[in-house]
Amino acid sequence: MSDTTVKMRDIAKDLLDKGTVHYIIGWEKGRFSNQSPPAFITSAAHADRLIWDEYCLASTAKYLLDDKFPAGKIGIFARGCDARAINRLIQDGQINRENIYIVGICCSGMKDPATGNTADKCQHCTHPNPIVYDILIGDPVPETDKPERFKAIEELEKLSPDEKHAYWSKQFEKCIRCYACRNVCPACNCRECFVDQYRVGWQGKQNNLAENQLFGLTRAYHIADRCIECGECARACPMDLPLMELNRKLIKDINQLFGPYEASLDTETTPPLAKYHLKDLEEFM
Amino acid sequence: MDVIEEQQWEPKILAFCCNWCAYSGADLAGLNRMKYPENIRILRVPCSARVNPQFILRAFQKGADGVLVAGCHPGDCHYATGNYYTRRRFQVMKRLLEYSGIDPRRFQAKWVSGAEADKFRATVTKLCEDVKAIGPSRKLGGSK
Amino acid sequence: MKRIGVFICHCGSNIAATVDCAKVAEAAQAFPGVSFSSDYKYMCSEPGQEFIKDSIKKYDLNAIVVASCTPRMHEHTFRKTLANGGLNPYMFEMTNLREQCSWVHSDIEKATAKAIDLVRMSVAKVAKNEELFSSTIPMHKKALVIGAGIAGMQAALDIADAGHKVVLVDREPTIGGKMPMLDKTFPTMDCSACISTPKMVEVAQHPNIELMAYSEVVEINGFIGNFDVTIKTKAKYVDHAKCTGCGLCETKCPKKVPNEYDLGMGLRSCIYKPFAQAVPNKPVIDAQNCRKLVEGKCGVCAKVCPTGAIKYDDTESFTTDTFGAIVMATGYDLFKWEDVYGEYGYGKYPDVVTGLHFERMVNASGPTGGKLKRPSDGTTPKTVVFIKCVGSRDSAKGKSYCSRACCMYTAKHAHQFLDKTPDGNAYVFYMDVRTPGKGYDEFYESTLRDGAVYLRGRVSKIYQEGGKLIIKGEDSLIGKQVEVTADMVVLATAMVPSAGSRQLAQTVGFLPDLNGWYQEAHPKLRPVETPTAGVFLAGACQGPKDIPDSVAQAGAAAAKVCGLLSKSQLETNPMTAKTNTAICSGCGTCIPVCPYKAIQLESITERDHHGHRITRNVASVNNGLCQGCGACTVICRPGAIDLQGFKNDQILEEVDSLWM
Repeated sequence: MSDTTVKMRDIAKDLLDKGTVHYIIGWEKGRFSNQSPPAFITSAAHADRLIWDEYCLASTAKYLLDDKFPAGKIGIFARGCDARAINRLIQDGQINRENIYIVGICCSGMKDPATGNTADKCQHCTHPNPIVYDILIGDPVPETDKPERFKAIEELEKLSPDEKHAYWSKQFEKCIRCYACRNVCPACNCRECFVDQYRVGWQGKQNNLAENQLFGLTRAYHIADRCIECGECARACPMDLPLMELNRKLIKDINQLFGPYEASLDTETTPPLAKYHLKDLEEFM
Repeated sequence: MDVIEEQQWEPKILAFCCNWCAYSGADLAGLNRMKYPENIRILRVPCSARVNPQFILRAFQKGADGVLVAGCHPGDCHYATGNYYTRRRFQVMKRLLEYSGIDPRRFQAKWVSGAEADKFRATVTKLCEDVKAIGPSRKLGGSK
Repeated sequence: MKRIGVFICHCGSNIAATVDCAKVAEAAQAFPGVSFSSDYKYMCSEPGQEFIKDSIKKYDLNAIVVASCTPRMHEHTFRKTLANGGLNPYMFEMTNLREQCSWVHSDIEKATAKAIDLVRMSVAKVAKNEELFSSTIPMHKKALVIGAGIAGMQAALDIADAGHKVVLVDREPTIGGKMPMLDKTFPTMDCSACISTPKMVEVAQHPNIELMAYSEVVEINGFIGNFDVTIKTKAKYVDHAKCTGCGLCETKCPKKVPNEYDLGMGLRSCIYKPFAQAVPNKPVIDAQNCRKLVEGKCGVCAKVCPTGAIKYDDTESFTTDTFGAIVMATGYDLFKWEDVYGEYGYGKYPDVVTGLHFERMVNASGPTGGKLKRPSDGTTPKTVVFIKCVGSRDSAKGKSYCSRACCMYTAKHAHQFLDKTPDGNAYVFYMDVRTPGKGYDEFYESTLRDGAVYLRGRVSKIYQEGGKLIIKGEDSLIGKQVEVTADMVVLATAMVPSAGSRQLAQTVGFLPDLNGWYQEAHPKLRPVETPTAGVFLAGACQGPKDIPDSVAQAGAAAAKVCGLLSKSQLETNPMTAKTNTAICSGCGTCIPVCPYKAIQLESITERDHHGHRITRNVASVNNGLCQGCGACTVICRPGAIDLQGFKNDQILEEVDSLWM
């Protein structure tokens, strides 16, 4: 049992005993050894369920949306990606910082349960150490450059329009419109998603290629300048759609067009598409 | 699509024009009796900032052969800052459309002032020619 | 359930020559929701409008499409027709079949097919139209003018003469701005104080103007018609109600400090009026330097004051008031050339001065009694060099723009110098000579005849040698370097927005432009308005300009204000943004995108799906401020904020209709 697991359990016990939080969100072992799904610990007696290992893939942050008006503080274990997700939810006005107690955990990456290799979502992680927390555990992980971050996108950009069309058609044909990507994404925190609005009719419910592509491209555009690259969408997709190849494409373009930018490193910076600069790049003369 | 249909195919192009500049410029082209191809359909919006990239996606999904978004020159927006947002949004959207397999020549964003009747005529004419050269649109995700 | 009436206009032969109107009307009859479709020769004519009204009654229509000329022409006309026909005027759409169809195409078949498509779009849109109603906001009949220079004073006088109440605020102890500091004004060489001081007195005595000198605006809330303003009046330490302005205190005050009004070239006492003709003509005490206020000693002024007006325990005071309109008239300052022009000495040579220094020296009530004297030794200069464009038209070190008045005032200075010193030498180093106004070029020509030598070239260096200044420059017209030995150098420095203007703009709620000048609503058609409804601009705060232009602009701003104040309430545009609070999550992303600051987060209380009472934020639009651009509707991902008249569903229907 790792040091961090011990610390997790001790902190949880302490917070719950003292009443600082009335429950804490972390991870526990699942049925199989390569699963560590999220856990909701409501008393110190259950704190020993908590675990920190290389299969703690799921993000804890989005669960905060289920309890926006909590009776007491909510404790939450947050890795680098979870911390950014929490910032995202705070900046979007969906949760209050005062209602949560963040236990930051420095994370060196998770494993893919199917292969045992580093999980896709962790391969290009730029912020392994949480940027917001009330207390921090775990050894700080050195932040290295990730030169391969946009490699897949650059490869795709080189294809001809017909090849690109063929590639994305093949991918979106697989989509079953389960909306898992939307449900798991911290940037997707709208009260009513555009896709559920029959009255306006942004798009239809039919599960065909045209509607699938419309949904995928629109969601990517909606989160464009707010995506924290946690990779949960691609992980949650049951049909293995390469969703990060869409999201990272937009992030790459935004960085190129409007200057270096990473979403949700704080709760104050306005995302690029909500502002402008008088000397923005001009292509439409 | 069979041979006869292809020969008779005329592109249908949707143009979002802002009321104060681009739409006005299009009116001026009419006042001056300039001529341009009939393939264009103008949709009036109060400001180019009203044009949601989702409208563009919707147009391509339904089968638009080309889409134009035309607004005031930066600095001249009737609502002071609208077209600065338009500029950012459509630079991102244009790249996304291209990445998803839509020929980049099908989507254009242009600044046309209320006095630039000829620029409107030229922009529309060129877009129609480009789209005719590429061929009918493959509906977003369609099999054509 | 929509019952749509479609009317296709022939417009004589304007449309009918290229579009088969009858065919379009027939096609439209089959469109979803259409109850009645017809064509007619002139829809905008009286019989045409009667036709619409009759059809509304006969076919029980509740939405109308007229396909004719551009809506920019007759949308208003037909809205009135609908209102007269008993329908809400916004249940209406217009199709442009003339300027954007019949006039730009020649093939009848293709133009008709296009016309059918265009009408199809309008029918699809109007099927989703909703009745819209404008609301009203009250108009407080009082104007606030910030800045009492020539522009501020003129605007205040014009508004007051029209019968409205005005509060005029200035942060200096005296009003008047820069103009009374000048000696003579081009091109007529009138004495500046002689034309500005009467205006200052008129302002002070006008029954409709409340003058608040030595005061600043600290907070503004609200919007057009209802600006709630807090004004701070600084501590004067003199009770102006008791003070008669006799000036005895000034003569007895023992401590002298450099006078800001004379740009440090002269001295004033610590209880002072900035200049003799100041309005209000009553002194204030300089709290930084007064011995009594700083050390507790002295107190001579209180002893000699015949009315006991001195109040050492004075404090700043705050007043609040509500205004219908605000005029910004905060003027300009001069560019701090000493910070960047090392080649001119960084300000260490006392005889290198700005144009404003020159003005103070030649002014009879200035520090040298109207005599031009070298600041270093007090002697009369025989050779003066004038350098233009110091900080202007210089994107490397200063500002990229032209400061507009310098060519004229440099010619004026050269003329004045040669007038006072007939055997003097005046050299002007210039890039261009810009003299666009009435009598301006003639004035410049007469300065040349006076003997001023204009050298086209820039000055690369000024340095001191003995008691003289050496100026090294170029005469580019003959392609030679020149060197002038002079007694004094006068720099025409750039105009920059006055200090603190950026923060003030933020307080009032509008934006300055890239250079810090206040941004007008439209560069050509709306030069005195800002994008913020109810806030207007007058004078140099909008951009460098001379006195005639400042006065003209002040009159224009006043006219706009009078137009507003003449109404008791304002009708708002009904095509504004509106929030669907069920969908709005209160993320606030729409708020910074609005150019008019029309959106705010508002708290609402409701029951959630567990039955608990919760309080949450939603976006709320101020209909008085919203101008209906729709920028917010796009940044809102679920479309919770929508634009009435151009709603998301309306536009989606228009797009879909083309590819049914």
